Formats: sequence, structure tokens, C-alpha cells
Amino acid sequence: MIGIVVVSHSRPLANAAVALASEMVDATDLPRIATAAGLDEATFGTDAAAVADAVGAVDSPDGVLVLVDLGSAIMSAEMALEFLDPALAERVVISSAPLVEGLVAAVVLASTGAALAAVAVEAQAGLAAKQSHLQHAETPAAERADHGDAAAVCESPEKEAAPPDEGGAVSIEINIAMVHGLHARPAAKLVSLVRRFDASVSLAHLSDGPPSRRSDAASLSQVATLNARRGDRLLVTATGSEAREALAAVAELASREFGEAATSSADGVTANPLGRSGAGDGASASTGSGLDMAVGPALVLEMEVDTSGYMPGETAREAARSVAAVDAVAKALTALRAETARRIGLAEAEIFDAHLALLSDPDLLDPVKAGIAVGNSAIEAWQRRLTEVAARFEALDDAYQRERVQDVRSVERRLLSELLRAGAADAHATAADAHATAAGDHSTGVATAVAGGGEGAAEGPGIVVVPELDAATAATLDVEQVTGIVTRQGGATGHGIIVAKSRGIPVLTDAGERLDTVRQGTVVGFDGRTGQLWISPDDEQVTRIRAEIESRRQNRRVAVQTARQPAVTRDGCRITVTANVTSVDDAVAGLANGAEGSGLVRTEVLFGAMRTPPSVEEQTQQFLAIAAAMDGQPITIRTWDVGGDKPLRFLPQPEEANPFLGERGLRLFRRQPGVLVDQLQAVCRAARETPVQVMFPMVSCPAEVAWALDCLAQAASRDGVGVPDGLHVGVMIEIPAAALAAGRIAADLDFVSIGTNDLTQYTMAAERGNAALTHLVQALDPSVLRLVKLVCDEVPPAVEVAVCGDVASSPTSAILLAGLGVRELSVVGPAVPEVKSALRRTSLSHAEALGRQALQAGTADEVKSLLVSLLTDREARA
Amino acid sequence: MAEALTLDAFARWLKQFAETVHDNVGLLTDLDSAIGDADHGTNMDRGFKAVVSVLDGNGFESPDALFKKVGMTLVSTVGGASGPLYGTFFLRFGSALQGVEAVGTQELGKALRAGVEGIVTRGKAELEDKTMYDAWAPALEAFDRAAPEGTAAALAAAATAAGEGRDATTDMLARKGRASYLGERSIGHQDPGATSATMLLESAAATLA
Repeated sequence: MIGIVVVSHSRPLANAAVALASEMVDATDLPRIATAAGLDEATFGTDAAAVADAVGAVDSPDGVLVLVDLGSAIMSAEMALEFLDPALAERVVISSAPLVEGLVAAVVLASTGAALAAVAVEAQAGLAAKQSHLQHAETPAAERADHGDAAAVCESPEKEAAPPDEGGAVSIEINIAMVHGLHARPAAKLVSLVRRFDASVSLAHLSDGPPSRRSDAASLSQVATLNARRGDRLLVTATGSEAREALAAVAELASREFGEAATSSADGVTANPLGRSGAGDGASASTGSGLDMAVGPALVLEMEVDTSGYMPGETAREAARSVAAVDAVAKALTALRAETARRIGLAEAEIFDAHLALLSDPDLLDPVKAGIAVGNSAIEAWQRRLTEVAARFEALDDAYQRERVQDVRSVERRLLSELLRAGAADAHATAADAHATAAGDHSTGVATAVAGGGEGAAEGPGIVVVPELDAATAATLDVEQVTGIVTRQGGATGHGIIVAKSRGIPVLTDAGERLDTVRQGTVVGFDGRTGQLWISPDDEQVTRIRAEIESRRQNRRVAVQTARQPAVTRDGCRITVTANVTSVDDAVAGLANGAEGSGLVRTEVLFGAMRTPPSVEEQTQQFLAIAAAMDGQPITIRTWDVGGDKPLRFLPQPEEANPFLGERGLRLFRRQPGVLVDQLQAVCRAARETPVQVMFPMVSCPAEVAWALDCLAQAASRDGVGVPDGLHVGVMIEIPAAALAAGRIAADLDFVSIGTNDLTQYTMAAERGNAALTHLVQALDPSVLRLVKLVCDEVPPAVEVAVCGDVASSPTSAILLAGLGVRELSVVGPAVPEVKSALRRTSLSHAEALGRQALQAGTADEVKSLLVSLLTDREARA
Repeated sequence: MAEALTLDAFARWLKQFAETVHDNVGLLTDLDSAIGDADHGTNMDRGFKAVVSVLDGNGFESPDALFKKVGMTLVSTVGGASGPLYGTFFLRFGSALQGVEAVGTQELGKALRAGVEGIVTRGKAELEDKTMYDAWAPALEAFDRAAPEGTAAALAAAATAAGEGRDATTDMLARKGRASYLGERSIGHQDPGATSATMLLESAAATLA
């Protein structure tokens, strides 16, 4: 993807233009954009050296487009080219396009992966929409005449072009239903959609009289010039090998009002926590039950691809198959990435970056090429190399890194399936074997395995049983068919598990040898909340499991109905339940689920896709957008929590022997406070508009709190005003030392938020990603709970204690935490209704009694059984 | 030509010019406010103050190293159009002196011409566009004519010719830069770029002779 540089006299102008243009495309598709603008925040001017740096920062073999405002910007840009390495300068184009219009057009087209020359032309045409619109307004007579001419020269008469079959054009009609018509944002979506297909797609007005001049749907300037307003009907015509697919996709996009309906709908209930909406609605049907419990026949997936039937060709053929397979898998993964970003989330989508990176890694490709050259089949060459690479991963010391071997295996399965498909397709020419081709068609692994599993595998919904779950499989499982997932191994933090959980699919991990007796079709049931697994349960057990699922569903239904009501215990204690948020979409869904604001905005995820640090203004706008999505309820912004397992692209860190004990969170900024202070400035700006809380992660002692508060004061003073009055300031308590010093740490604060995930790993000295230590990484361990209790007891009376770790999302744990003195729980969005509902059904005195019992317990398992009994007691009473 | 120009002399030139610019911030800005964006004085002052501090803080091995540094400093500190224009002038001026052992009149003349050619390339200005080139062009001619009489005479002639060129810009119609947006209204105002260019040559005449 090309890079883009904006050269302007004014830094705020450049930043605002970038923000405006960035809104046009998904953050995942955003090209790299750098600015070289102003001499500093306030002084107008341009600097050729800064332009050269900016070009260098976004450079790639695809080239760089430079957009300039005026005067010295043009000269500075030209001069910058003289500073650059001639080889680099050769792939830079300075555009004479109008800055804002050109940038918007360029960003949209660049996001589709278009070449530099195409983007430059599109940017140049950026004025067309404005010119056309204003000419239209000024000279209606001329315009009409022009219109008539255009209609007359319209080359092919699409009026009668309902799907003709001779491979010519096909067309459909769509309605424009959006209030603002086909304006820039939906137009951008349409453009990036149609560019994905091997088809040329055009649009024409149908609304009055004969079709108007046709606009190229792949050109933003042309689509925007179409001036399609609400109520207009458009004729969409496509030619090319994927013409029908392109039209189907356009129809689908139009039926969703180009994705505009969700953002503008007044009722706000866009996320259905039950995920039970009818089939056909792609976006919301991709949610599992979210009930953590399932029962049904096992769909055992053998993740090994059977390559015994592969028919190797001669060397050249194998080399070609290998290249084609890499291309096909990369294409499929890219599509999957985009789909995952849209349906599930950015963080989950980025998992596929690792897979894609493998596919372009010369360290992999070169040995494979060499292997084929000396006479191995493509399959042998790939298997050999990937096995070597997998072994390298498995030998790593770091457990989290080690689990990345799943990425390698996932890529291997896709590649082998693709090669098998290619082999079968070649064989098809001689011996027709349509079945093999069809079976290999779904490289998800799931369909292949289920269809090929014999024993009449998939009849209705079932539970997928896998050795381990990779992200690609998790993202593509059909939740209509898969009601639950059980893994043999792989830990609870693998990418696949993260994706499955965020899709609401019940999951039980690390079932190990308990699965040995499970065959295709064996009935299994499990409860992810208690860790129970039933294999071949008898009828009575199945009935009980079904009853429990139904009961959870009922509870869920009641919980959802009452989600907007506050969580007040029977004896009148109000517990605030907020949502953890990583995007505006999360905030929208959280609000729909009844969240009372956000107790944790993960900024390192929110801006995690960016390659350069987001500007103060970009951050401010994002924060305000999240607050607005939360209906103006308070949002708690956590400052950059990077390091450990969460690196940021724009904040490279040196390797550390022990990153979880290294420069994580707040610590990282002691040596380079700039990025933190920028963020705090954005926090202050947002706090002047809407209720905001800010908290610092990874604090270990009071001195760090003082330093953080200094940074905050410094950030506030940049805008010439103090720290906003309404801004509540807190820290995360996730280090035992901080918990033990909670009184002193919280002395000058408004709140603390306990991050139970890290507090647990640091208390137990057991890394949370290490599958071998899952038995130790238990947030319900009495030692962890005692620290929670200590924090609640030690902080000054006015300081609120919140919990934002995973444990808060479980309704029973939520009661326990309330009993220990926690007054705010920030949970995953879909858990809000049930957490609130559980709190309403208990009393604080009951919760406190539970808390006392838990603190006396000897092990996490004992605490869990206390909670299970709470569950069963209540179910019995209900 | 017995006496060659030294690094010290070049530094004196630039410092003298920086002082002149500083003393004339108001004049340059006023000229620019009539037909431009009222920043020529402050931009040049900021840029050449930075140049002076660079000169004070560093030793240079050769004139081309010194002028390269000066050019880059201007590029990054002036901000307006004079940044790349003066920046290019000094970068090219320095490059022309690369490998030159002793800078005499002829070498100085070549360097000035190279610098001005850089300005023309950068700004794409032509004669009578009402730009600094209208001061530079006659100055170069005058320099060459007087060159046989030595550096002092050549620079004095160049400065005088630049002043005449500068004065002639008053009646011109601006065709480049922000002033060109004013069209006919730009007539009657002296061009600020031609004014500062003249000052640069006057400073040279005073220090490099």
C-alpha cells in the first residue's frame, strides 16, 4: 500500500485534514500517512527536511504520494526530493491536487491497495465533485443540456440489461435510503468494496427518465459526483469475471444502507446480546449464545490435512502451484482479516497479520523454492519448511511466543489444502472428481474436516472438538452450526480462543485426555464457567444441561430487558457496571447492553493499528466519539499500556529478558514522556467537553503517581489552562506492591481500578499466557482476593475502587467483588446485563458473607465451589 | 587576486546580513503585508538568527560545509517561501565552492550564479515576475562586468544593481507567490524578497571586500 505525506503551512490544518480523510476508511485499511506541517504547533511554515523525513517514514516499495497546500509547501516538497536517496525519490509523486479533496480521494483509493499512479490520478480528480455540484447549482440550463447529451451518448442500453447470459454486462437496481444520500463515507465504502472484485462496475441514475451518464464505481470522485440523494434509484452494471459477485456485494451493502444505518439509528440497540437474530443478516448472526454452556454431538476436527492423495507435477508445475497457493491463501486471509475487523474487532483482525507476514517471509519462501527446484513436490517443500519453523517456535522460552506456533500450523493447513485443491483441479481435467474439488474448496479446515470425517458427521448443530483452535478457524466457524468449542490443548489465551470468546461461542479449553474417548458424533456437554465436561451424558444429564442452558437464557433475557436499569442490591447498595472498550463500536454495543459508561478504554488497542503516534487532535476526537457513543456517560481512559506482550508499532522497544517485569505501562515513558503527555493533553481536551476519568497502568509506588500527575499538569498547561475540574484521576492496581501501598498510592487520587489479570500473574508469579501454568493463574485465588480486600480497606474513604479485569465479567465473581468492597465493575460489553442482574438479585450483606468465606478459603478451587453453590442455590430458589 | 576569502569572512557576511535583517524586520514585514502574508521579516529574522547560532556553535572545515549547514538551517527554520529559496541559494552556493582551494572573485561569481540558478529552479520565477530574481539577475550581470576590478568592486556593483532591480519591482505585477493572488493590486509595492536579496549583497559588499 502506498504511503501519503501531507505538507502544509499549518500543523493543525494538516492533522485535521488527515483526521477527516481517515474517517473514510476502516482503520485496518488506512494507508500510512505522515504530516510535515508548520514549524511547530503554532508557527506557520514548511520545512523541506521535515518533508523528507515524513516521506521516509511512510515509504515502501509501493511509493509515496505527497499532497501540498501552497507556496513554500510546494517548494519544500520539491526540495525534499533532492534530499532523499534518488531511488526513493523516484517513487515519490508530488500532487497538485487540492489538499483536502485530494487527500480524501487518495486515502480511499490507497486503502484498496491501488498503485501510486492510480491514486495520483484520483487525487487530481478530487475537485470534480465540488465543481460538478457548484456548476449544477449555478447553471441549471447548461447542466440539463449536458445531461441530455450524456444520456444520448451512453454507450450501451442497460435499460434492457437484466442479466443477459452471454457473458456481457449484468445489472441490478439499488435504492439510496440514507438520509444524506450517497455521501462521501458510504461512497468510500462502495468504492473499496467494488475494487475487491475482478469486475468493472458502473453506476447511473435511474430516478428521472433515461439512465444518466455512467460513473465508474471504483472511482471515489466519480461516485461522489453522481450526487445520488435519498430516495434515488441507481442502476448498477457490472462486467468481468466476478460481475455477479460484485453486484451481490453491492446489493448487500445497499441493503445495509451502506453501513450508515447503525451509526444513525435512534434506538441504539444495534447489538443483540443473545445473538439470535435471523439468519441472513451477516453481521449480527455471527454471535454465539454467550452462555458459556453447550451440549451436542461432537464434530471432531482432525487438524492434520491428509496429503496422501496429492499428485505432484513436474518441477515447473510444482513451483507454479506453490506461488499460486501462496497468492490464494494470502487473498483469503486478507479477506478474512477485513471480515474479522468488520464483524469482530480490530484486535482480533490483526491476528491475521502474523499469518500474512509468514506468507511473504523470504525465510520461508526461499527454502521452499529451493526445495521444489531440487525435485520435491510443493507439498513436501512446504511441510518440511513449516515443520522446521514450527519447531523453532516450540523451542522458544516464552510461553506466549510459543503459542504462536498455532499461527504457523494454521498457515500450513491453509497452504496444504490449497495445494491439494490445485492438484485435484489439475487432475480434474483427466479424471473428473468434482467431489474432491468441492471438499477442498473451503480452506477453513472446518468444512473440509467435517465433510471428510465420514460417519455422517454434521447433522444440525454440534460441538467442535479440536486439538487446538487457530484464529482462522475460530473466525470462520458458522455459529448456527457450532454451539460450542472444546480444545484439547493450547491454553486459554491463544488467538483462536480470544476470537471465539469475543464471538460469544462457549469455549472449554485444555480438556486434555478427557477427550480421548470422544469420537465423531459422541455427545458432549460442557460448562465454561465451572470447567465441567460431560462425555456421553445420559438422558437425565442432558436434560439437566439443557435446563441450565435454558435457565441461563431466561436469565439473560430478563437481564437484557432490565439492562438499562441500575444495579442496586436488595439492601440498596448501588454498584456501577461499566464496559471495557477498545473502539467506538464497543462503546455503542456497551451502551446497548446497559453499560453505565466505560471503566476501561484501552488506548493501546484503540490506536494499535497506527504506524505513527496519533496526534493530540486524533486522540481527542476518538475519546469524544467514545463518550458520545456512551451517551455522555463517564469514560475511563487508560493511558498507553504497552510493553510486555503488547507492543505498539510506533513505540519500538528494545528487547528485554523479562518484558512482563520490564518497561511496561507507565514505566515506559519515564525516558520518553512525549507520547504520554500528548495523550494526556487529548484527555484534558476531551475532559473539557464530557465526563472523563484518566488512569495510569502499571504503577508500583507513590513516586510514580506523583510523576504521572506532573505529566498531567504539564499536558494541561500546554493549552494554557489547568487540569480540567471534572477530570477524575486514578491508577490501576495490578502490582502487589501497589496493592500493599494502596493507602499512600491513592492519597491524591479520585479512584483506583484493580486490574485483576495482571495482579494475578504478578501475585502468583505465573505468566498469564503460559498454558503450563493455567492452574496457578487464577484470579479467584484467595491470595489475590486478599489483596483486593486490602485495597478496598486501605484507600481513603472518598476513593472509589473499581475492578476492570476479566474476573468482573462473571456474574458470581461480580457478587464476590462487591462483597469485598468494590463499587465499580468494568466488564466485557455482553456481560453487562447479567452482571447487573446478578447484583440486583443479591444483597450486600449476603455478598459480604460470601467475601468473608472466600478470604478464608484455601484454594481457588474452593472459592470456585463457593461460587458454584451460589449459582445452584439461586437456580434452585428461582 | 592575492587575497582569497576566508571562512571568517563568510561568517562575518552572514552575521552582518543577520543583523541587517533584524534591524529591518519591520520594513520587510510591512512590504510583505502589503502584498503577501506579512511574514517575510519575522521568517528571515528567525532563520538567520538560527544561522548565527549555528555559526557560533560550530567550526567548519570548508566553505561548502559551512554553506551547506547554513542552507539546511534556513530550510528548517524560515518556514515561508524564503526558506527553500534562500536554503537552495546557500546549498548551491556551497556546492559551487566544493573543492575550491582559494575563493577569489571568479569563484565567488560562479558560486553566486549557481545559487541564483537554484532560486530560479526552485521558484520557477522569470524576470519581471516581481520576485527576488528581479534583484539577483541584474546583480549577477553587474558582478561579472566589474569582476576584472576585483572582488570589492564586483560586489559593490552587484549590490548597486540589485538595488536598482529591487526598486524596479515596485511597478511590476506580481506573478508568483502569495502576491500573485492580488493581481493588479500588487502594483505600487516594492517586492520584499528583492529587498532582502539586495540586503544580502550589500552585506557581502561590506564584509567580503
